[in-house]
Amino acid sequence: MNAPCKAWGLMTDRAVYLQPAFILQQRKFRETSLIIDVLTRDFGRVSLLAKGVRKAKSKTAGLLQPFVPLTLSYFGKSELKTLTDVEITQPFPQLQGLAVYCGFYVNELIGFFLHQFDPHPEVFACYEKCLSGLSDSSTIEAALRIFELDLLDAVGYGLQLNHDFPDGRAIQPLTHYHFNAEQGPIEATDGSFSGKTLQALQLRQLTDPQVLAEAKTLMRKVIAVYLNGKPLKSRGVINQIIQHL
Amino acid sequence: MHKKGLLGQLIQNLCCLPGVGPKTAQRMAFYLLQRDRNGAKNLAETVLQAIDKIGRCQQCRTLTEHALCEICADSSRDDFLICIVESPADVWIVDQATQFKGCYFVLHGRLSPLDGIGPDELGLDLLEQRLATGSVKELILATNSTVEGEATAYFIGEIAKKYQVQASRIAHGVPMGGELEFIDSGTLSHAFKGRKEI
Repeated sequence: MNAPCKAWGLMTDRAVYLQPAFILQQRKFRETSLIIDVLTRDFGRVSLLAKGVRKAKSKTAGLLQPFVPLTLSYFGKSELKTLTDVEITQPFPQLQGLAVYCGFYVNELIGFFLHQFDPHPEVFACYEKCLSGLSDSSTIEAALRIFELDLLDAVGYGLQLNHDFPDGRAIQPLTHYHFNAEQGPIEATDGSFSGKTLQALQLRQLTDPQVLAEAKTLMRKVIAVYLNGKPLKSRGVINQIIQHL
Repeated sequence: MHKKGLLGQLIQNLCCLPGVGPKTAQRMAFYLLQRDRNGAKNLAETVLQAIDKIGRCQQCRTLTEHALCEICADSSRDDFLICIVESPADVWIVDQATQFKGCYFVLHGRLSPLDGIGPDELGLDLLEQRLATGSVKELILATNSTVEGEATAYFIGEIAKKYQVQASRIAHGVPMGGELEFIDSGTLSHAFKGRKEI
């Protein structure tokens, strides 16, 4: 077996080398610095201070952008770590047009559902998959739904899509259901979700437009329960944008 | 540590300036009071007047003390050519550095979904109204080269398409006098995608 990367041996809880990560959000700090909120593969969501990257001659400013796969090195004892090195992982799918706004929505969801320093490598993998889905305009909706499902699964709010409540019968494609975020599907003739949609969500196979529309309503309802009345800013902006176009 | 009294208050208020921390604020306050009381008075009066009188241009939203800014009021400039920038500072920079003889439109920010900044906050209805009159021939999108800046440019480009107005994006790539060896890979790959015939 090959020896692991040399840098791993040097890693301590104070210094992290070459960690795969994505930038979720960034804000300006002082004259030339940035505070970036990143999703790392092995350390969860971390805030980093990127010193001096907004200078005219900065080499890293072009790399420190959301939706770009990076490997980051950083150190620090406090909650805010200091970024020391950035590298780009080539090649990566680029988001264009509306997909960028959807990407920001995904970032906001991560910011809401993941706590700082709570590692979720599986969310990182889903995020990568979601970004490549968003880069193709035909799979945007499906990529968002699948990411929402996987994120909820990962943080312990996974949906019960196999059996109905309270009888525990298997989901039938032609039956209609109500959906309760905690209990699962409840059979009802006036239910707004078809069994077909629930099965498609369970299998993560979303192609039919009817299924996608229902899945969107369902996921929005479920996420609203966990947001607890807190509005998603990106969703408001996306609605405004769609109205203008 | 907060000092009490008027001096303390002055120091604290000076901290609202960008890049000014408590130490610098303290130095400024002492300088103004000890060495340049006249200058301090002028500064205070100018700040008050500026706050009172400077508003946004009705046409391009840049900062001005009149209803129309100097550029919009200048009849020698082409008003069918509009350059869209993020901040009033960008208007100055573009105007100094280029031969651009059109008008500007200032967004005062960029579309930023995570901060809840959407088209309404950027005054895009005003821009749409101008496009709807049919007097505009071309939009030059000079927003910053960040993901948010690009997204904003894309969105305004789509609006322009709706009104059949030509829209172009400023080029970005290898800087003047730049050596390829020292350019970051992101910029270089962008420069390659945006290459042009010679």
